Order: sequence, then structure tokens, then C-alpha cells
Amino acid sequence: MTTAQEVRAAARIAEIEAALGDPADPANPVGQARLLEADEAGELLAAGEKALEALNLNAEFVPVELGGRLERIDTLVRVLRQVFRRDVALGLGYGVTSFMAAVNVWTEGDERQQARLAEILLDGGRASVAYHELAHGNDFVRNEFEARVQPDGSFVLHGAKQVINNAARADAWLLFSRTDDAPGSRSHSVLMVERAGVDPERVTVLPRYTTVGVRGCQLAGLDFTEAPVAAEALVGSLGQGVELALRSFQITRSAVPGMALGGADAALRTVVSFALGRRLYRRSVMEIPHARATLGNAFLDLLISDSLSLVGTRAVHLLPEETSVYASAVKYLVPKLLQETMYELSIVLGARFYVRDGEFGGFQKNVRDLPVLSLGHAGSAACQATIIPQLPRLARRAWFQDAPAPAELFQPRTDLPAIPFRRLALASGKDSLSASLVAAVDELPDGSPEEVAVQSLALRLMDELRQIQEQSLTLSLEDRTALASPASFALADRYTVVLAGAAVLGVWREARADGGDPFLADPAWAAAALDRLVRRLGYQPAALPASCAERVHQELLRRFEEHRSFDLYDCPLAG
Amino acid sequence: MTDTTTTVTTSSAQQHTAESLSVWLVDRIAVYLKRSSDQIDATVPLAEYGLDSVAALSLCGDIEEDFDLVLEPTVAWDYPTIEALAAHILEELSTQAGAA
Ligand SMILES: Cc1cc2nc3c(=O)[nH]c(=O)nc-3n(C[C@H](O)[C@H](O)[C@H](O)COP(=O)(O)OP(=O)(O)OC[C@H]3O[C@@H](n4cnc5c(N)ncnc54)[C@H](O)[C@@H]3O)c2cc1C
Repeated sequence: MTTAQEVRAAARIAEIEAALGDPADPANPVGQARLLEADEAGELLAAGEKALEALNLNAEFVPVELGGRLERIDTLVRVLRQVFRRDVALGLGYGVTSFMAAVNVWTEGDERQQARLAEILLDGGRASVAYHELAHGNDFVRNEFEARVQPDGSFVLHGAKQVINNAARADAWLLFSRTDDAPGSRSHSVLMVERAGVDPERVTVLPRYTTVGVRGCQLAGLDFTEAPVAAEALVGSLGQGVELALRSFQITRSAVPGMALGGADAALRTVVSFALGRRLYRRSVMEIPHARATLGNAFLDLLISDSLSLVGTRAVHLLPEETSVYASAVKYLVPKLLQETMYELSIVLGARFYVRDGEFGGFQKNVRDLPVLSLGHAGSAACQATIIPQLPRLARRAWFQDAPAPAELFQPRTDLPAIPFRRLALASGKDSLSASLVAAVDELPDGSPEEVAVQSLALRLMDELRQIQEQSLTLSLEDRTALASPASFALADRYTVVLAGAAVLGVWREARADGGDPFLADPAWAAAALDRLVRRLGYQPAALPASCAERVHQELLRRFEEHRSFDLYDCPLAG
Repeated sequence: MTDTTTTVTTSSAQQHTAESLSVWLVDRIAVYLKRSSDQIDATVPLAEYGLDSVAALSLCGDIEEDFDLVLEPTVAWDYPTIEALAAHILEELSTQAGAA
């Protein structure tokens, strides 16, 4: 059954694809050739921004109740993926920064603030999220930028924020500010400040930073000198900034990596095209077994990443009490998988990987652009550090005890309830996702060789969870902090791989029950994906039936030829 | 309701006082911070010793484990000294024991 939410999502994606056109068409004003020129010039492609404005892309970031289109985080990811597919910089620089800022207001802002920010965004304006300070990086509890509280409740802004996307051109800034001199996690607050509400004499835009990737993004700083702003700027309560940040991050950390999958999709498309066209040793590169396997594995990595991203984003709706861990797992593992995929793909593309223009020029741009996903907005290690202290608690209270997740968690096209912004919990004591893995192990079919492979790989992952549980129980106290030993970080890494496996297994089982997508319902891809994850954990599982890789390869070719996306949606593309 | 200034008995039949809780917390926190217990002052904010927000969330898990209590993860943010935290735990012990 196709639901109304699904119809809206598919129609919106078709609309965006039609508007942005075939990236390979040299006459396309927002095609790859123009995007590469803009990148070389360190600019966001003006025609691209115009096209997104005409599409009113900002509406994607505004909840339906406030006049926008935002109803589901997984849909947001799916829609933005079409923009990231063409240009990561445009995705971040036109839009996602505004979403990252806005989530704070949708979570804790009052009615007036929500209405005002919705109005700004729906008018095509931008919001900046000014959280980080160069001096303190991920250790943002020590940030110094001040909003001094005045006796009448108003504030005086003083200090600087650096490396802020769109700082110079945003209409509103979300400022993470110190409102108390005391150390600790109750000394910061979030303020929504409109540019128009600040005396221009009292704020200076600091010079732009140039970067290796997303060169078009306009990263600058803001320096305030004793600038008064009204009491109404405060979002949520005084002293609640760290908490608000940690909760908003759960939504953005779940969402952004899946958007970037679009960039990796484009890169894989480029390399498939190359491998099919280039002839060596009297055959195409695609017929060289190593190249062929590499491309199949890259497709699997995209499916694994999308499964984890799907579960992470749907968990925001369905399991908001558990999202703290899942969001960090998505933000940690997906960018890492995608970057590794890019490296493997670059080997097949060979010397062309180093070329900056023409048919293959988009590839090096994605190699430079995609790492921003692990750098910006909580680094990889900081995401692991969010998971680590929760491991002992999950080990004691959750694993092998919790009830499995609802089936809808794994169904890409099933409706979801509204985003429960206020129910996101700071730390999680439950894990229904891994419980789904444990529960599935006993019920898996074992008719075909592919099904048998899935079963034994799932068993291996469950075993791994058991080991992670044992090791988590023995984590010493200091090993649960940001200063934990490298072994704790390895434990968090392994746990995210198990979660990715649970996501893959869940997606396959639900697709099999549903039957709508014959490829996703086939155990071949699930076996191949789980095999990759189990090998990633350092095991040497039995060789898969050859049919698994063959099925994945055929699907890759079909989607390439029919211009369909390399993710869970098999979505028609403009080129 | 039990008077929180006196002792509270939990299911494990342990007697807790503000003082015994303080001692327990000082020991825990000393381990976190790699210091000896006599270097921790119960009236100084924990953040002054470098206990960051993530570690503070983790502390909540330990308290829950040892005292069979359910706490807000931010408890160590809201009760920023050992003295304040001990008083709060004692209060929670008596409320939650009363409710059980
Ligand atoms: C292109 C781009 C755009 C950006 N846009 C914005 C924006 O719009 N708004 C904004 O506020 N910020 C923005 N930033 C800033 C960025 O989000 C922060 O700088 C970043 O999250 C902090 O990372 P850092 O690399 O400075 O790391 P640091 O915190 O300096 O960390 C350095 C290293 O220390 C280790 N480390 C740090 N924390 C931990 C931990 N908890 N546990 C273990 N090890 C740890 C890690 O190895 C880490 O790589 C942007 C950055 C870039 C590159």
C-alpha cells in the first residue's frame, strides 16, 4: 500500500530531480561542469542556489505545523540526498546549516520564535548555527562566547565564533553562549538572534576560511562587542544550552550522514561508467574481477550505510528515548564507511581520480567534500565518546533483555508519527535495535544457501554483541570518559558495526515480508552486506555462495543503466 | 515520607547517610579524575576538577547501579558538588523506597 506520506515524498523527489536535471548534461546550468567551475572559484553555484530557492527547498526544514514540509527525518534525508548527489557544498551551504540551526528552535523555542524562524526560512532566508569556537572544538562546554544576563533579563553579547557556515549572510544566528561564569554543563544557553536586531557597529564578520573541500561554503566568524539583545532571544531556559545542544544533535547527527550518501552515489556512478567504458587486456575494466568486486562492495557499503541511516532517522520518531546512541553510531560509522568506499573506488578509477575537470572531475571533488561529514558537527572520536559511557549501562540493563524494535523501524516507506522533539533523551538505557538482531536469530529462514549464510552471519554478530557486553561490564570508570583508553573507542566502533548489521538484517526481513522490492527481499544482498560487516570485525566467515555477489552486481548494473539510485529506495534519477 | 536527614534503608539493607554517600562519591570521583580521595573537596564543583559533561552522565549510571535508583542523567550537572549530590541521592532514595 502506498501511503500519503510516501506519495508526497516520491513526488517531491521527482520534482527536485526534474528541476536540477541531468548532472552529466553539459548544457545543464546546474550540471556537473558548472558545479566544478563554481568549486574551483570557491563559490556556491549561483544557478544552483536559485534553483533550490525556486523549489523552496527551505520548506523541507520547517515542520508541517509551521507551514513547511518537514514531517519525517528519513524523508528529509532522502530529499536532500538529491542535492548532495550533485554537490555536497550546495547541500550544506544552501540548506542543511539552516536545518541544524532550526532544530534547536523546533525543540525548545517558544511559539513566537518558531513562527518567526519558519517565516524567515519559508521566505528563502538562512539561519546559521554558531556553536563551535576554535579554541575549544568538541569540548564545547568550555566555550567562552558570552551572553551576559542583564538585570532586566536582556543580554549583552560579547566574544567571537569561528568557522560558521553562512555567518556573513544569515538572517538569524543560533548562538551557543555562556550565560554563567561557573564551570560545568549548566552555564550555557542558546540564543536566537536576528541580524537585523543587532547594532551593526557592534558585530564584525571575521574573514572567510578557505577549505580543502566544500570550497563553495562560506565559512566565516562573528565578533560581537558588547552588543545588547532582547530577553526574547533566549531559546528554552537559561542554563539549558548543553542539554538542548545534545538533544538537537541527535536529530542532525542521524540525518546529515545519510544525505551525504548522495555524494557517494554519484562517485560510484562515475566509476561504474568508467569501468564499463574503458577497455584493457581486451576486455572492459568491469570484467577485471578485482574491479568488479570493488564496485559491488561499494554498492553494498551504500546499502549498509543507508540501512543504518534509515534506522537512525526513523528511531527519532519511534524510539526517541534510545536515539542518543543511534545518532552517534550513524554519525560515526556512515561517514567512515563512505570515505573508505571512496578510497576503494579511487583505485579502480586510477589516474583519472586525479583529474579536476571533465567527465571524471566530480570524483576528486567528492573525495575532498565528503570528509567534512566526519569533521564538522562533532568529530568521529567525539561521537564515540558519546557512546562509550553508555555501554556499561546497556550491557547491564539492555542487551539480551530488551524487546525488539517495532517492525516499522526497518520499513523505508511506512508512515511515521510526528517528530517528538521534546522526548529525545540525553542518554539511553535501552537498545531495541540490537534486540531485533537477537530476536531474529531464532526465526531466520534456512532454506536456500543464501539464507543459511545470512543466518550464520547473524549468529556471529550476536556473538559479537555478547563479547561487547562482557567487555563493557569490565570497563573501568576512567575508561568511560572522554579520556578513555583507545580500547574503549575500539569497543564503541565494534558496537556500531553490530548496530549496522542489525539494521541490514531488519531491512531485509521487512522487505521479505513485504515483497514490494524483489532485490531488497532477496537474501543475497543481506548475506553479502553482513559478510562485509563481519569481516570488518576481523572474522573470516565461510565463503558466500557465488550467487550473492552476482545478484548484487546485476542490480548495480541495472540501476546504473536505468538511472536509479544506489540506496534503499531504488529511486528514478534525472541522469 | 522518611526524614531525609536521618538514614535510609534500601532493598540491599544498607544504611545510607549523607556522610556515607559522600564517602562513596568521593571514592568514585577520585577514580574518574585519577586523584586520591583526600584531594577531593565535597563543596567544590565537580567541573572544577575537570569532570566533563559526558563523564557526568556516566556517573549517573554508576549511582543507579549501586543504589538501585532511577535518576535524571543530568543529575551531576544539577547537583554540581559532592555535598549537593549526596543530599539529592539521599532524598531520591527515600522517595523511591517510599513509592516502591
Ligand atoms: C566545513 C566546516 C564547516 C563548519 N561549520 C560549522 C558551523 O556552521 N557551525 C559551527 O558551530 N561549527 C562549524 N564547524 C566547526 C566544527 O563543527 C568544529 O570545529 C568541530 O566539530 C570540532 O572539531 P575540531 O576538529 O576542532 O576538533 P577538536 O575538538 O579540536 O578535536 C581534535 C581531536 O581531539 C580528539 N577529541 C576531541 N574530542 C574528543 C572526545 N570527546 N573524545 C576523544 N577524543 C576527542 C579527536 O581526535 C579530535 O579529532 C565547521 C567545520 C568545518 C570544517
